[in-house]
Amino acid sequence: MSGVLERTEPVESTVLDSPWITLVWNDPVNLMNYVSYVFRSYFGFSAAEAERLMLQVHNDGRAVVATGSREAMERHVEAMHDFGLWATLARADA
Amino acid sequence: MKAFRPSRHRFVAVFEPEEAGTLSLLASQIITLLDERAARDSDPAMLRLLPDAYPDDAAASHEFRRFTADELAARKASNARRMIADLAGAARAASPTAVKVDAQGAQAWLRSLTDIRLTVAARLGIESDGDPGLDDPVLHDLYNWLGFVQGSLVDCLDR
Repeated sequence: MSGVLERTEPVESTVLDSPWITLVWNDPVNLMNYVSYVFRSYFGFSAAEAERLMLQVHNDGRAVVATGSREAMERHVEAMHDFGLWATLARADA
Repeated sequence: MKAFRPSRHRFVAVFEPEEAGTLSLLASQIITLLDERAARDSDPAMLRLLPDAYPDDAAASHEFRRFTADELAARKASNARRMIADLAGAARAASPTAVKVDAQGAQAWLRSLTDIRLTVAARLGIESDGDPGLDDPVLHDLYNWLGFVQGSLVDCLDR
């Protein structure tokens, strides 16, 4: 999983065999250092990658943090809700 | 309040009795809120604690909630109870008291502080970045203080 996630363009690189994505959305509550911490500790991202994704959430309003089967993405979304992050899933081509 | 700092295998913060009591009360209110979630499905706070997993598909969101909400609510209540237990001594004390949180406890604290902040923000009507929310200085002070507590604990784990 972490090998896939560490690629710079996870959606494009796996879209054909992995049609679902986990999105994390910007919210005014969660602290930037907490979001980075969650990305690092749960997904196993490097500090730099976690920081990049956190800033993408903050600046662009959302970021794709995982790509894979619908079941796997539902597990990630549930885990994000456990952390209190605003996460959703969607088809990668939607 | 003295912010969390690492101390051997633990994290230590100093709470005034009133601060510990307030945080315990907020945690117990989260437990009550989650207990009453069936009757609160349109409560903005509930939609932040247990968000729609499929924003454009109400049926799929409902199904996701049906399979995950009970366990998520139980975990959130358990995190809140852990924080209440860790704060009990400081809440009963007559003077500022060190609260020691171990690594496992820190995970419960981070999540429960998030749940409380999401709920307070919903009550303040803070919906987007820079949103001033309701004119309620006491609740804003509380919200900012909760952010300070949580931020200091995240900083400890970041080291």
